[in-house]
Amino acid sequence: MRKSTILAAALLSTSMTAPAFAGGHLRIVDEPVEFTVHLHNKRYHYDSNWPVEQKARQDTGVHLIGATFGTNTPSSQEAHNLMLASGDIPHIVGGDKIKDMVNEYGPQGAFVPLNDLIAEHAPNIKAFFDKYPEKMAAVSSFDGNLYYIPYLPDGKYGRAYWMRRDWLDAVGMDVPSDVNELYEVLTAFRNQDPNGNGLKDEVPFFARQWPEVLRLVTLWGGRSSGSDTYHDFLIDNGRIAHGYAGEGYREGIKNIHKWYEEGLIDAEVFTRGSSAREFLLSENLGGMTHDWFASTSGYNPKLKDKIPGFALEVIVPPASISGKRIAEHRRIPVKPDGWAISHTNPDPVTAIKYFDYYFTEEGRRAANFGIEGTHYDMVDGKPIFKKEFMEAGPVNSQLYQVGSQVQRGYFQDFGYEIQWTNPSAVKGIELYDAGDYLIDQFLGVAFNEEEQGVYDKNWSQIRTYMLEKQQAWILGGGIEAEWDDYMATLDKMGFNDVLSAMQSAYDRQYGG
Amino acid sequence: MSDLSENILPAAPKRTLGQRFTWLVDHFKREWQIYVMLLPVIIWFVVFLYKPMYGLQVAFKDYSIFRGVAGSPWIGFEHFQTLIYSDQFGRALKNTFMISMLSLCFGFPVPIFLALMFNEITHHVFKRTAQTIVYLPHFISTVIIAGIVITAFSPSAGIVNMVLGWFGMEPIYFLIKPEWFRPIFIGSGIWQEAGFSSIVFLAAIAGVNPSLYESAVIDGASRWQMMWKITLPSILPTIIIMLIIRIGNLLEVGFELIILLYQPATFATADVINTFIYRQGIQGAQYDLAAAAGLFNAVIAFILVMTANTIARRYSNTSLW
Amino acid sequence: MANMNLYSRGDKVFVRLNMVLITVFALLTLYPFIYIAAVSFSNGSAAAAGTVFWRPIGLTISAYDYVISEPLFWSSYKNTFIYTFGGTFVSMLIIVPGAYALSKQQLLGRRYFNLFVAFTMWFNAGLIPFFLNMRDLGLMDSYFGLIIAFACNAFNIILLRNFFEAIPKSFEEAARMDGANEFQVLWKVYLPLSKPALATIILFCMVARWNGFFWAMVLLKDEQKIPVQVYLRQVIATLSDDEEFGQSLLNQGYSVETVTAAIMVCSIIPVLIFYPFIQKYFNKGIMLGGVKE
Repeated sequence: MRKSTILAAALLSTSMTAPAFAGGHLRIVDEPVEFTVHLHNKRYHYDSNWPVEQKARQDTGVHLIGATFGTNTPSSQEAHNLMLASGDIPHIVGGDKIKDMVNEYGPQGAFVPLNDLIAEHAPNIKAFFDKYPEKMAAVSSFDGNLYYIPYLPDGKYGRAYWMRRDWLDAVGMDVPSDVNELYEVLTAFRNQDPNGNGLKDEVPFFARQWPEVLRLVTLWGGRSSGSDTYHDFLIDNGRIAHGYAGEGYREGIKNIHKWYEEGLIDAEVFTRGSSAREFLLSENLGGMTHDWFASTSGYNPKLKDKIPGFALEVIVPPASISGKRIAEHRRIPVKPDGWAISHTNPDPVTAIKYFDYYFTEEGRRAANFGIEGTHYDMVDGKPIFKKEFMEAGPVNSQLYQVGSQVQRGYFQDFGYEIQWTNPSAVKGIELYDAGDYLIDQFLGVAFNEEEQGVYDKNWSQIRTYMLEKQQAWILGGGIEAEWDDYMATLDKMGFNDVLSAMQSAYDRQYGG
Repeated sequence: MSDLSENILPAAPKRTLGQRFTWLVDHFKREWQIYVMLLPVIIWFVVFLYKPMYGLQVAFKDYSIFRGVAGSPWIGFEHFQTLIYSDQFGRALKNTFMISMLSLCFGFPVPIFLALMFNEITHHVFKRTAQTIVYLPHFISTVIIAGIVITAFSPSAGIVNMVLGWFGMEPIYFLIKPEWFRPIFIGSGIWQEAGFSSIVFLAAIAGVNPSLYESAVIDGASRWQMMWKITLPSILPTIIIMLIIRIGNLLEVGFELIILLYQPATFATADVINTFIYRQGIQGAQYDLAAAAGLFNAVIAFILVMTANTIARRYSNTSLW
Repeated sequence: MANMNLYSRGDKVFVRLNMVLITVFALLTLYPFIYIAAVSFSNGSAAAAGTVFWRPIGLTISAYDYVISEPLFWSSYKNTFIYTFGGTFVSMLIIVPGAYALSKQQLLGRRYFNLFVAFTMWFNAGLIPFFLNMRDLGLMDSYFGLIIAFACNAFNIILLRNFFEAIPKSFEEAARMDGANEFQVLWKVYLPLSKPALATIILFCMVARWNGFFWAMVLLKDEQKIPVQVYLRQVIATLSDDEEFGQSLLNQGYSVETVTAAIMVCSIIPVLIFYPFIQKYFNKGIMLGGVKE
């Protein structure tokens, strides 16, 4: 490209290259800039032909060239590692779960710290993090720097309690409002043959992933996990704790064992696996579960012909013994996915400005909805997907091919999802919204070397021990008798040291 | 079968340097072809397997993928300490040995017997068909095999419990009981691999000189006697080699299948070294820890193999080296 | 085979018992294949529910339809053949002479060469060093790279060497007296006498190539070069449910289970077809007679 005035350059480029540059307010550079990008996810990797990429190029003048490693392996971890090992790191690195990688190797010099760049050159990102400082803290590294711009989901809810309305009608009961009533409902499901086949084959409470059974401890004041990962730590008024060492857990497991013994919980919940929901619902054996809003809602239209009257509905969380209703599980608001600027990048300022583009209104819309006129139209100031687009197939899969909803660093817009969410899920979400059941979420900590050492040395075995005792207690009881021993053993194994290490990291990261 | 020809290494130890050198030159003049045939293999091993072995260093380093092997600092035996001083490691080690030994006792002979049994089948079509069928599970992914096993042993729908029911017994939830893990795991392993493993022995049996059988028939031996006195001894070298290699794999016990079949309730008997390490290193790719574990496994395995090999060499003509 | 009239009473019982046991074992080992065949022809929901046991439920070929209509399936299938046959051919070129040489008593340092080979069965460098080595050799993303880098393994070499050692020296000596050199001895004497052994090694090489996917995934960049097992894993990854969004295939005829099963069936069929050709080498009596004179 020859040097000339801005206008001349725009005109020249319009005539010489395709696509033409728009040269508007979103323009970042006078002359086109190219960066190589590694963006890996098991379903896709960065494609320079994406319509969204083309649009971004037109708007900003920056062009990303796909240079992803491990394009043929679905394991993003592997792909990222190979990229790092090769020594040939592309200018921009992103994709699935890059957080651990950038936070570990960023301080070693592989990635560029973004804090100052954001403050000086990325006004939209800065505004976002000013509004949500805890989100920035959550993904910073132990040296205090932010090394990647995360993918920020917008939906709040993840899983909900679902119950068979038709079974409730069959046993003549109402939606249980607290744990005692829940017990009676499940007992009725078990004994009063709501599926009407004369066999005592009902499975009142089931789950596709057995740790979902542990959610029930919340009904006795306990906690199962503080994040959207199972068996994780939790945060309670600024203090780090773990659900499996709490009093409510003790009471909860005791009762879960009782319920298990009485057949109220799927006897095979540990081994039934992912086919549990499909099997138990379609065979009219399942009564209640705790599972994702979106995917579970699909069973109503699917099974309405096979099982007459089938009605699976979201119910509000039953009140615990202390009267509280909580929805323990929620979508994590800041993901370990996103993108970063690597040390090989020749122009980090342009790169951060490019990242910022996706936080502008236009860029954000492109990252969420696709191209206006092709995939969506603006109706009353809101992007609405075209009908043909929504009916052509699963919306997300289609959007991936356009370059939308891919794991770059951007702020999602729940508006994209609600348009094709199943009605029963929408209803459920409104129900949960009305009651405000969500609680604080543990967003993880970034360890320094010393804390990491304590964690690595002790935690895996502590966790193994906790899980072994837990399963044994659920299957065979005995938690009351063994509790003191259990707590003493945890202490001996270094549990309190791990908690201290996490607390110190937490205080440093989130400002005490 | 030993060769007393003068082409082997000379026995006389006391020779002058000049005599040795002359001998060496003659040797190569005579035997150069063997060395030429050996060359591609050696070169291949050096280029593809030995050259990257510097990577084993990471077992002693705090490995950073970004910094590379050379740029990562040494930490000595720290990884090994992390492994070995863990309480649950001892249990994992014990389970590894237990499962391995049981697998050796029960699993190793099965392919041999299968091969011998196939050898005794006279019906041509039956033999060919059955042989083709028994190796099929080897091609079916472990995930599917595990799924079948879990279903088969399920308390409600599983066939095993159904059969128990015919005998009036209560259903057992097998996969959460530690005492059942080993038999189920080893049985599944045999089911998946015995057929394919028997191929080696089939080939060995096919190589036995038929005239041996002919003379035995003339002497009036029964098939049963022939199997024990002719077939089995003839394939003994193959059995020994496979046994030594198997001993070398004592610490590798089918990681993928265990992960799919085990539960916290069965960790007491099911948790082995590799699954223990897997849980240890879940956060990020802990290549250095995995390398240390691999090295630990390798050293122990190698010591076992050396022992087995020496014994084999002393008491038979066959050995790995 | 032998004349049944020569069999003793005990022998006959033995033979019948034998057949019963083999039949039972064969039925047990046949089951997984029947299972995945049934799943592959089943309706997606039934498969996801785990209600398929031995026959298809909701008979449909939608899984196969999905698989076949994808051009990548065919190209990956072709690639599998290339890697399998090409790879095995190259392997044999290196392994056969090597195993022969290692079986010779007169090889100097024989024990050390054997140890050199065997050592690699336990000590391997690890993923990243191997990967970097391939990169340094310029063998990334190529058919040749994948073929040559996995051409040998210690197990096959040791096995073949072992089979070679079992051949009586008298055969070799007879050929020597006729003035044969080592190459000719190998070609004219050992190979014809080792048909079961060669068949075994060829089979092992082919099976390893046919099933192998890990390094193909890591080393290949061009998706036109991937073998069918890598394609299979990509399909599983693409189809697996995205929990949060419920983009379930609840309304399609196929599911991740049925498509996986269909691909698996497609990759086993050639093995079933090909194996009988190898099998005839496992019959007794290939080695004819004793020393000729």
